Amino acid sequence: MRRSRARKVGLNALALGVFGVMIFPVYWMVATGFKRGQDIFSDPPVWFPYHPTISNFTDAIHRAHFWASVKNSIVIAVAVVLLSMVLAFLAALAIAKFGFYGRRAFIVLIIAVQMIPLTALIIPIFLVLSKAGQVDKLSGVIVTYLTFVLPFTIWTLRGFMLGVPKDLEEASMVDGTTRFGAFVRVLLPLVGPGLVATSIFAFIQAWNEFIMAYVLLHSPENQTLTLWLANFSTSRGTAWGPLMAGATLTALPVVIFFIIVQRKIAFGLTAGAVRG
Amino acid sequence: MKARITAAVVLAVALAVAASTASGSTRQSTRKAAANEVVVWVMTDAQNGWPGALTAANNAFKAQHPGVDVNLQLQSWDSLLQKFDAALAAGSAPDVIELGNTQTTKYMAAGALSAIKAANYPNSKTWLAGLKSSCSYNGKLYCVPYYAGARAVIYRKDMYAAVGAKKAPTTYSQFLSTGTKLMKKFGKNPNFSAFYEPGQNWYVMMTFVKDWGGDIAVPQNGKWKAVFDSPKAVQALTAYKSMALKLSRATKTNDEAHPYPSIPFAKSRAAAFIGNGWEWPYVFDPKGGAAPKSFAAKMGAYPMPSHIKGRFMPTFLGGSDLAIPISAQHKSLGADWIKAFTGTASQKIIAKAGNIANTTTLANVNKNNPALAPFAKAAKYSWFIPTAPNWVNVEKANVLKAMGTALLTNKGSVKSVAHKYSQQVTKILNAKS
Amino acid sequence: MSTRFPAAVADPPLVGRRRRRPLSLAGSWSAPYLLLVPASAVIAAVLAYPLYYMVRLSLEHYGLFQLVRHKGEWVGTANFAQIFHDPEFWHVVARTLAFTAACVSLTMVFGTLIALLLAELGSKMRLLVTAGLIFVWATPVVVAVDIWRWMVDYEFGVLNWLLTFLHVGNYNHHDWFVNPWSGWSVITALVVWGAIPFVAITLYAGLTQVPRELVEASSMDGAPAWRTFFDVTVPLMKPLFVILISLSIIWDFQAFTQIWIMLDGKPGPDYYVMSVYAYQNAFGQSEYGLGSAISLVTVGILLVVSFVYIREMVKIGELS
Repeated sequence: MRRSRARKVGLNALALGVFGVMIFPVYWMVATGFKRGQDIFSDPPVWFPYHPTISNFTDAIHRAHFWASVKNSIVIAVAVVLLSMVLAFLAALAIAKFGFYGRRAFIVLIIAVQMIPLTALIIPIFLVLSKAGQVDKLSGVIVTYLTFVLPFTIWTLRGFMLGVPKDLEEASMVDGTTRFGAFVRVLLPLVGPGLVATSIFAFIQAWNEFIMAYVLLHSPENQTLTLWLANFSTSRGTAWGPLMAGATLTALPVVIFFIIVQRKIAFGLTAGAVRG
Repeated sequence: MKARITAAVVLAVALAVAASTASGSTRQSTRKAAANEVVVWVMTDAQNGWPGALTAANNAFKAQHPGVDVNLQLQSWDSLLQKFDAALAAGSAPDVIELGNTQTTKYMAAGALSAIKAANYPNSKTWLAGLKSSCSYNGKLYCVPYYAGARAVIYRKDMYAAVGAKKAPTTYSQFLSTGTKLMKKFGKNPNFSAFYEPGQNWYVMMTFVKDWGGDIAVPQNGKWKAVFDSPKAVQALTAYKSMALKLSRATKTNDEAHPYPSIPFAKSRAAAFIGNGWEWPYVFDPKGGAAPKSFAAKMGAYPMPSHIKGRFMPTFLGGSDLAIPISAQHKSLGADWIKAFTGTASQKIIAKAGNIANTTTLANVNKNNPALAPFAKAAKYSWFIPTAPNWVNVEKANVLKAMGTALLTNKGSVKSVAHKYSQQVTKILNAKS
Repeated sequence: MSTRFPAAVADPPLVGRRRRRPLSLAGSWSAPYLLLVPASAVIAAVLAYPLYYMVRLSLEHYGLFQLVRHKGEWVGTANFAQIFHDPEFWHVVARTLAFTAACVSLTMVFGTLIALLLAELGSKMRLLVTAGLIFVWATPVVVAVDIWRWMVDYEFGVLNWLLTFLHVGNYNHHDWFVNPWSGWSVITALVVWGAIPFVAITLYAGLTQVPRELVEASSMDGAPAWRTFFDVTVPLMKPLFVILISLSIIWDFQAFTQIWIMLDGKPGPDYYVMSVYAYQNAFGQSEYGLGSAISLVTVGILLVVSFVYIREMVKIGELS
């Protein structure tokens, strides 16, 4: 009994240590957002903002186009999430549930596409979108992000689908539904956790991406938050306080999104483990 | 469950606010480059440093072209050229672009900028020679000087006085001896530098080379040859190395922007440093040094004295130019905007913000400002980078910065380091473009 | 794009083999193709021409001069010859492989350990640690690198101060990047730190699917914990490990942002990995043909390196 208690204390201490080490840089970012200028560059370091100020946050929010950037980032991220879920679900269905000529080739292809460095494609993609009149438009960025998000989401959703027992599908078809009906009614809810997980992935990719957005979006009203963050650095130095405040604000929606969906993940975990 | 609801509510509220406040801009974001618009790319520096000049220019432009919108798109130095290259590739360049004066030659040589006539622009007869040369290629003019920056030494009068230097040094040997005394008196503090010189501050390194009569690179038989391994240059580099190692505790692997010396200076970690005029107000900027106003009483500035009596070391004339890309949609509108922004009204504001205006007629704008006057004075002797088309590739490859580090971290004798990096520069300058 | 995310459930079911007998009802032979059309259309629309263009660029001399005129100069395989004859290139390849190996192995080791820890914790502590991991993961990569860059800052770095304070040594004005080994340690730590949440949370999800009975049976037989882990748990989680490792390889091999921003956009040759090398050539020197050639070589090397894992996946029935 004592041994397991000691073990528990030991494990909890370890957990706290892991938590502390992992979270410190994030803490540093948030704390710096609340520090006054003289506390940011100081020696010894100011560990906790004992004289907190929200001036960095107000500075950040009042910078030009903050709210426009928020709106643009949200529009792009939500669009990418919704579209990728639909398109990836359909494609994953194809490669998970059907046998057809070229299936393995398609799978290898989507793995290979992930290996292509994005930086090599900046100018060619810009050329293609420019010809299609999609430069400086959110739709151009959305389509680009979709391209980079789809391979991974298709591959992952396929895995989830493979995990669903065949009998469930077949059982529902005995009831007289069409094959597609079986997909929607049976498969869709069961790969719910998979959809949630891939939507998180798509959201983060779309939310944090910089270089394609920088090249594709020109007007300041069309900027995303990551581009907006870049304006804190001039050739005259980086405004650290407002930058960290802006960064905290940028990270916030992702965290909120997580909080909303993390229950679904946990539910999905336990649901998946129970097999009838 | 509660957290989830709270989070959802927060997100919904944020979304609602964002959507409502941003709805006004959707109108603008769907507009295309219409005939009633001029697209301008300038750096965030302008918005952050001299926004009044931008406003003045926009007002003047709008007065001249009432139906035309100014589509101002702020850029960052890091990725500007990437974006510009992409725009050029697609044939959709802006109407006005700001380029660093070390970047222009490459684009002029590639035919990316359209030729212009000086006479059409304000104050062209009195443009700064250094800037004008960065706009000239093969006898033609391809851009308009925007502003320049000269470097001088900013120092702590009280620390200098504490070691007996009541006036600023006027010779190089005075500079050295004062520095040595400062290190003796304050050097016990491991963070203290008598002269804060980051290892990759190649502008100062090359200033020494120029002062000793050396050069960076010269044209030779239709090619370029880097010559900072010449005997004079090696002499200069040796002097630079010994000065930096004796008087500075700044990082050897980074440059004068990481951090800006104003910041350690504001924390009394440096008695002096070489910087641009705007580094002075940066000492007090809450985002920079965050020093109290009273700190100003302890500060002074002087042009870096040369090792040749009666002169200053020539300062690197940094700066920016404004150009009209060859594939711009509205070249004449772009030209008019440039005229407004480089006119006397805007230039005056730019100069008062701590820069050097593009025309010598405004050279004395800061004469009575003790903070900025020495910088204008220092611009009397200046140097510029070799006007080779591939020069900007040398900068992008960080060759001279790497050389500074190698020099100060003893990666070989001064001569061998100079020779190794000269060869690299020669290779890049002569690469097929 | 090198962010991580938690996959909610392990990719395949972990216990037992499932034989997949794909159904193909008469008349629906076109169904799979139709289902693939939307996704394929998007990918093809955006990538098809750029990929072709990238291959064509790699066979051309395409500098700024050519870019302005929209016309490259055909040089055949000269770019590739230049790359392969450049001794620096081979250093870069070796360095990239070493860096990838270090990042992937450290990420997997720490990720696994944290996953095991999560499995052993009570629910409250588990929530705390998971929340911490999620915060790490939610931080934008660019910002995370900024923070780290600042923590090791020469003048004001928190890490320097802390190490000096703890008497680990005199780290005052310690420059982490003078010595490439030290510099790479910092960058590796940063990459691993950012990669751990994905791996840990995904592996933990996988661990929850390992049937308790098997684990308990093994430990009741007297096997120590690590034996149980390697004999029972790992084989069941093998597909998950394979996926995580291959994804980590693909992502870490192409790591760019962390290195670029950590070194303030001016990495020295000691810090070149393939992504940086390609970028410097393409955008730094405006040599787009050369840059494209390097990128193609990168893809080639990645295909070779991950070939082993892809083949493994085929063998265990993942792709068939």
